[in-house]
Amino acid sequence: MDLLQGTLDMLVLKTLLMEPLHGYGIAKAIRMNSNDALDIEFGSLYPALKRLELKGWIAAKWEMSDHHRRARFYRLTPAGRKQLQVEHSKWAGFVSAVGQIMGPVPEGGK
Amino acid sequence: MTGLWRRLRYLLPWHRRAEENEMRAELESLACLAAPGELGNLTRAAEEARAAWGWTWLEQLWRDAQYAVRTLGQNRGFTATAVLSLALGIGANTAIFSLIDALMLHWLPVHNPQELVLIQMRDPREPEPADSFSYAIVQALDEEKSIFSSVCGFSGTTFDAGHPGSVSQVQGAWVTGGYYETLGLTPAAGRLLQKGDDRPGAPLAAILSYAYWQRQFAGNPAAIGQPVLLNGVPATVVGVSPRGFKGAEVGDDADITLAVSGVPQVEPSGEPLLGRGNFWLRVLARPRAGASRAETRARLAAAWKQIAARSLNPEWSARQREDLANNVLDIVPGAAGHTFLGDRFREPLMVLMAVAGLVMLIACANVASLLLARATARRREIAVRLAIGAGRARIVRQLLTESTMISTFGAALGIWLAWISSRFLLSTLADGGVPANLDLHPNWHILAFAVGLALANGIVFGLAPAWHTTAVGGAAVLQEGARTTRGHSRLLSSLVCGQVALSLLLLVGAGLFVRTLQNLLNVNPGFRREGVLVVRLDGAREGYRDARLREFYEGLLSRVRRVPGAVSASIVGYTPLSGWLWTEAACAKGEPLPHDDNTIFVAAGPDYFRTMGIPLLAGREFTAADRGDGRVAIVTRAFAERNFAGRNPVGEYVTATVSKPPSDLRIVGVAADSMISTLRDTPGPAVYVSYFQKSSATDSLVIRSAGSLTQTASAIRDALQPSFPNAPITVRPLTAQVEETLVEERLMAKLSGGFGVLGLSLACVGLYGLLAYSVACRTKEIGIRIALGAQRGAVRWLVAKRAMALIAIGIAAGLPAAWLLSRQVQTMLFGLTSTDTGILAGAIAALAVAGLAATYFPARRAAHLDAMTALRHE
Repeated sequence: MDLLQGTLDMLVLKTLLMEPLHGYGIAKAIRMNSNDALDIEFGSLYPALKRLELKGWIAAKWEMSDHHRRARFYRLTPAGRKQLQVEHSKWAGFVSAVGQIMGPVPEGGK
Repeated sequence: MTGLWRRLRYLLPWHRRAEENEMRAELESLACLAAPGELGNLTRAAEEARAAWGWTWLEQLWRDAQYAVRTLGQNRGFTATAVLSLALGIGANTAIFSLIDALMLHWLPVHNPQELVLIQMRDPREPEPADSFSYAIVQALDEEKSIFSSVCGFSGTTFDAGHPGSVSQVQGAWVTGGYYETLGLTPAAGRLLQKGDDRPGAPLAAILSYAYWQRQFAGNPAAIGQPVLLNGVPATVVGVSPRGFKGAEVGDDADITLAVSGVPQVEPSGEPLLGRGNFWLRVLARPRAGASRAETRARLAAAWKQIAARSLNPEWSARQREDLANNVLDIVPGAAGHTFLGDRFREPLMVLMAVAGLVMLIACANVASLLLARATARRREIAVRLAIGAGRARIVRQLLTESTMISTFGAALGIWLAWISSRFLLSTLADGGVPANLDLHPNWHILAFAVGLALANGIVFGLAPAWHTTAVGGAAVLQEGARTTRGHSRLLSSLVCGQVALSLLLLVGAGLFVRTLQNLLNVNPGFRREGVLVVRLDGAREGYRDARLREFYEGLLSRVRRVPGAVSASIVGYTPLSGWLWTEAACAKGEPLPHDDNTIFVAAGPDYFRTMGIPLLAGREFTAADRGDGRVAIVTRAFAERNFAGRNPVGEYVTATVSKPPSDLRIVGVAADSMISTLRDTPGPAVYVSYFQKSSATDSLVIRSAGSLTQTASAIRDALQPSFPNAPITVRPLTAQVEETLVEERLMAKLSGGFGVLGLSLACVGLYGLLAYSVACRTKEIGIRIALGAQRGAVRWLVAKRAMALIAIGIAAGLPAAWLLSRQVQTMLFGLTSTDTGILAGAIAALAVAGLAATYFPARRAAHLDAMTALRHE
């Protein structure tokens, strides 16, 4: 499924709201939480992480992973939390606006 | 903010390395966690992650620059020619611009300089406004508080500073009391002049410039309150003006500044300057806050009539006063202060700027054709890059980087050249006998000018070839091979024709100005300037007045006559072509005095005509007996013809206002016409009066020397110096004084000549480049011709024919332009018209010879091609 521009950032922020994760963990979490509907390519996810980190919305630290390997864990910063609220309400507004127009799923074509 | 900071930090190499290491470690750790291949192309991911910092463009630019440096380094000849062409063009323009900048664009280092205005007076009958005013008018203007918050007048001077025996000349200024208030300056030490210092009888207070204070007093605050001897008169140092401020007269730095009211004490001969008849002060004013320029102008125009009624000389005729009152007072921006040099050199500098612009165009054409030729040669490389998927924009950008880099090198070298040559320019200006202390250090104006010029050139002349080369589809070029296309070669040819046309313009200009200077140097001034020495005298400074002053001068004269080597000597009010002039109304006795047709007057002593070598046509010279009553005059031939047509004037009388009331002078002789005010006009009517029957403000001894001028000069100095304990006297040849008047012409001749040679050389380089290139492109064709039996001469002719056609077309295009443009400088020429055929022919001949010389090597190369090698040529 293609993602709308800017949605990826929001998804990453939302995923990190629950717990700090490393890059691969974030990709897995998004896939799992969307019941495999959203399979984000790591090639797109990784630059997005760098972008968010530069903006100061997420921060990273080296920690031990479950498999006793060192990995770089990202967590949400207070600024990122605020940003998530902004993006969330924007997204909600967008969804409701589109929903108003679309209404219920129409009957099959005549 | 933190984002920006992190991004900037990324530019530091060690930070970037740390980031890279961290990224690699992170990606490696993740690769271990995920299934093999699950994460996709990690290199690509890292690459795109790097873009997050937003420096990709910089990285590409850096890579382009590296590539450009490498390719430019491989083609040293090309690079050197292009960079040098540009450097010469940019250097020429920057040098002239730096002069214009220093003279007209530098703002005075004062409070809000943009508010200041210079006051001018426009006479509806005169083309140029006057910018000098009398002391009384400046004071009257200062009282107009509804127009100006403050007004000041100033004028440059020189002081002989120091005690007898250690006297040195110091540049100074006379200023009115409101000077520092108007400029809004605060002292570096002590206090500055105030209104109270500019009252009759006020104690003499001197302000030092910061630089002079540092030089003479090592910046010691104890200098305040010390007396300094100026022209032998003590004045008290009361303060130091702020650092960097050198006076409002740009180019004439004032090291010591005094209030105008001190003139009678310090410079007794200048006492009349305080009178209402002397217009000598430039006026700067600060309009009331909030008033618009138009408002100020209107109020000033309205107030002038009243000011004129109050402050014009009551001794002048009613008509003269009315004429002046009918003039219009105007304001012009005064942020740059006043500059005598700027007024004098404005026209020459503007013409030179235009000429330098033409040189720049020739240089640009060189660079453009070099780039074009090179782009053509690289079509294959570019086609390959396009074919394997490089974007067109990417390639254009890369080619532009190259041309911009050439421009940058050119600009750097050009700025250096300008900086070197500006000293030469300054020394030429200083030959004019007026101080020319200008700051020509490269400043941001000049740098911006040069860099702007270079960038515009890099983009305009780089873009066209880059666009052109990348336009064709890759495959077509690859098949076509390295053959050049018709479009390119036509563009190249027209560039060269343009260069030839432009250099014709430059050569014609150079010819006109060089000939003008020659004509002026060769003009017969009516006196023999060689072998005459001039000594400026100021006996008033030594304390002599009136009758005693005259006796003192007579003593000097008799002493000078006995100096070995002196053939004859005389004394005169002012020497010809010195920049001074005395004019009066004069007519034959019995006729009414004319109002506005003044005659030139000269006060000359005995033996004046013999000393100066001016032939006497009738009558006698002045003698030592021509003093007291029984006033006598010698008129010039022009005066005799105007006022005594058909009669012998000797024995008749001239009526003139030499002293008040107008008196009659008996004519004792007629002298040949000679040039007194300017070399450029035929001499007008003039009257000589006996030196000892007239009081004079400025005086000079003139001495004709038989032997070596330097020896006689030093003998004169030895003989006279004991009489002048307060001032060193200078003895200079009359020829030097005459040449000083030609400084503008010399500047024009030197620079336009230099630019002509420069333009011609650049055009020849262009022509040579084009021919060499076309021979290289046609190697195969020429090889076939030679193999088929073409003679060497015929091959040579093949190349020469092309060159001659280009030169001919260029000349044909340049001639009408030269005709049109040289008419614009007609007023600056002397002794020839702008369409002088000799100069046109000379310019064409120079072009033809230089052009053919440029053709020689390519033609020779073509003629000596070895047929077999040429055919094997790709």
